[in-house]
Amino acid sequence: MKLLKAIIRPSKVDEVKDALAKLNISGMTVTEVRGHGKQKGHTAIYRGKEYNVSLLPKMQIEVVVNNTICDEAIRAIVEAARTGEIGDGRVFVLPVEQSYRIRTGEQDV
Amino acid sequence: MNAGTAATPLDDARRNIGRDILAGESGLSALDRYTAYIDRELQRLYGVAGAVDGGVALIALGGYGRRHLCPYSDIDLLLLFGEPVGPSGEQFLRKLLHPLWDAGFVVGHQVRDVGELDGVDVDNPEFLLALADARLVAGDVALRNRLKAAFDRPAVQAHVLGALQELTEARHAQFSGTLYQLEPDVKDAPGGLRDIAAVRTIAAATDPGLLRRHGDAASLAQAEDFLLRLRTLLHLDRRRNDNVLGHELQERIAGELAYPGQTPRQQVESLMADYFSHARAVTRALERIRRTAPVPLGVNLGRTRDGVRFIDEQRAALQPESWPAAFQAALDAGTPVADETLDCIRRHGDGVSLASLLPTPEHRAAMLRMLTPRRGLYARLSEMHDCGLLGRLIPPFRSIVCRVVRDFYHKYTVDEHTLQTLRNLERLITAPEAHPRFSALLNEVESPELLVLALLLHDVGKWRDEDHAVESVRMAEGFLDELPLPEGGRDTVLFLIRHHLRMSQVAFRRDTEDPEIVREFATLLGGEPRLKLLCLMTFADVGAVSPDTLTPWKEELLWRVYVDTYNCLTRQYADDLIGRAESTAAETVARKPADVTAAELTSFLEGLPRRYLQLFERRTIYEHVRLARDIHPDEVHLRLARAHASWELTAVTLDKPMLFANICGVLSSFGMDILRGHAMTTPGGLVLDVFQFADAERFLALNPGASDTMLHAIEDVVAGRSSAEDRLRGRLRGLRRRPAARVNPIVRMDGDASQRYSVLEIVAGDQLGLLYRISRGISEQGCEIDLVLIATEGQTAIDVFHITRRGVKLTPAEQQELTAYLQHILEDNE
Repeated sequence: MKLLKAIIRPSKVDEVKDALAKLNISGMTVTEVRGHGKQKGHTAIYRGKEYNVSLLPKMQIEVVVNNTICDEAIRAIVEAARTGEIGDGRVFVLPVEQSYRIRTGEQDV
Repeated sequence: MNAGTAATPLDDARRNIGRDILAGESGLSALDRYTAYIDRELQRLYGVAGAVDGGVALIALGGYGRRHLCPYSDIDLLLLFGEPVGPSGEQFLRKLLHPLWDAGFVVGHQVRDVGELDGVDVDNPEFLLALADARLVAGDVALRNRLKAAFDRPAVQAHVLGALQELTEARHAQFSGTLYQLEPDVKDAPGGLRDIAAVRTIAAATDPGLLRRHGDAASLAQAEDFLLRLRTLLHLDRRRNDNVLGHELQERIAGELAYPGQTPRQQVESLMADYFSHARAVTRALERIRRTAPVPLGVNLGRTRDGVRFIDEQRAALQPESWPAAFQAALDAGTPVADETLDCIRRHGDGVSLASLLPTPEHRAAMLRMLTPRRGLYARLSEMHDCGLLGRLIPPFRSIVCRVVRDFYHKYTVDEHTLQTLRNLERLITAPEAHPRFSALLNEVESPELLVLALLLHDVGKWRDEDHAVESVRMAEGFLDELPLPEGGRDTVLFLIRHHLRMSQVAFRRDTEDPEIVREFATLLGGEPRLKLLCLMTFADVGAVSPDTLTPWKEELLWRVYVDTYNCLTRQYADDLIGRAESTAAETVARKPADVTAAELTSFLEGLPRRYLQLFERRTIYEHVRLARDIHPDEVHLRLARAHASWELTAVTLDKPMLFANICGVLSSFGMDILRGHAMTTPGGLVLDVFQFADAERFLALNPGASDTMLHAIEDVVAGRSSAEDRLRGRLRGLRRRPAARVNPIVRMDGDASQRYSVLEIVAGDQLGLLYRISRGISEQGCEIDLVLIATEGQTAIDVFHITRRGVKLTPAEQQELTAYLQHILEDNE
């Protein structure tokens, strides 16, 4: 199993959700996050005054998927979240050792 | 009357009271008879003193007004004339007062004319207090009624009570604050006659039923009678206005009044025990009424420890139009509305219609004013909702009372969610440090009551499960017709309701880095005023979904959309012009009045920024078209009108160098502070300037013909017959001695925002003549000003100019040169 952690534009959450749903991946955690990547934010001007917006609002989507569909899920996220512009985000892939269902205590296989 | 013959009846009258009191008559009735005797003497003298131009009224004040005149007390008299005292009045005064003085009366008289009643002597607390007992003795009843009307105003009553409080405390301090005096002053000591008068004045000014409810009326009447008997005997014994019950007199009076006791000393002890018992009763009554009496706040309204309440509930029950005033008074006083008042409204609210709650335009305007965001608004509207009044004042609100809409986000019923949105607005004022950017935005909104109104109505359509914004608009339309909204206010409120979800959708669900998304949103809004309102509405609405919904993350996204849209609206509108066959102008053309032809309307609109159609109401647009008729070079067609607290000048003319600077210069030369405005130029050279300005020196208000003088001065300057610089010279010299508001000036050029113009944004401390100096500086650098947005927010002026040089955008070098030049001008003024 892998944990996919995707940092994406807020406006792309619905598209990414839909793309993952097509792969029958429905369980996910969505978190509001702020940060910056290579572009280190940008400069905004309001009423003649410049100010630096260094931490940009992003969304973080976390899904745990089986190894068999991991690549497909990554592809789905990347395609759905891409605009081609700076700031589209990142997908991180982490190994998951074990997973348990709290209600029943059973271990996912 | 002369001294020789009048003295005897007066002495007789005085002697008779003493005799009757010793014979067991009550002090009140004996003094009432003595007062009547004095009244008759005055009425007789009034009859022979002759007529007075404008009339006169003899008005008894203080103890004399209360019919408690003791034998050697001063006769306090107000001589109220219908006109300033002239020869006939002076003769009247002589004929009235001289015989009184000759006869040995001590008269404390005040002379006033009714013209002085508007500012009832608030600096003379003793006189104000004496007025509380005013009673007509002789003369013109109408003058007495004028006095009563001037005195019975809540503001005067509040002043009287304040003065009474101070005077009472100062008087008590002279006696170390204790009633237990061995030789008491029966008038001034704590528990004396002045305290009884104070109790009665407080009750009369606040709640006449208080004494009865406290059970103090009987004991106070007994104490008063006892003290008046003592004071009468004191006066007669000392043959002067002496009110101190000394040891020697105690013994004599105790004997005369046959107090029980074997010895004079025992009799004195009985007398003084009686005295202290009555003085204690008076002191208790005074303390109780000072603690519980409502402070007058308005007609039939007072403030107590429990909050604002109706003084007379029965009267209030019959006057539903007075109910909203209780909440306004509570807002003003920063206190709640008392439970008993809420109960009263709850009990009598059934069947009360909006028309009976807001019967006049003044009531409806007051209701609108109440909706200004401020401390306590959420709490007062919640109380209003709790007693059922909110739903009667805003009928659509009734459809969402306790309405439950199940979703994963909302934590409250729809009515409470709605009120919570107002709490969020209120917090922007009471805790500006929590969300400083949004707090600053709220301060910039011109009519914040429109925002509150829109929030109150935005979810009323949720009684249905379908598209609630559409239903909310439908329900709000009829109700808004009842309110005296400012020009364009109705459309703005309906716009906000209809689109209240739009900004959160754009901010949280759309890619706002796509300029097209922002441009589309800016087009929907049309201008910065609606952007600010919708941004604040979104902030308040999202924050009222649940305590956790408006995260810093969402707040940041919302602010970014605001900034991007603001920049789009102020810097990019110049490229979007109204075309010849413009569909968005079709309705304006279709609804035109008969005197405006389709051809002249279309011709006028062509080439103006499309934003123009959203900024102005249709009837204003038609007015602009009329102004633009038959315009020739060097002519300017002007219209000046009041706009709320400020003035609005519309100028239509043909473009020429220095035009904008010259008009600004003339306005500044008359002391006008330009607050807001737009200047637009069509490619054909037609100029439309609209300025809103404050007349801080009240030149227009105070001088007849002032508006014509100012308009002629503009016409002369535009025609080149006079110079704005000459007109302004003296003023600008004076201004240099007065520094501008402390705002570091910012001058920024943007060469990319518009395809046709260089955009110049200036932020500086607001000061008279600022706009003139900036625009003159731009012209001096050889640039043409085609479009201007003028805004003033607090002490800061924010102006955006769209400029060209020789018909094209400025080169980077020219931009740099102009920026430096303007920066120099602005800093030179610092």
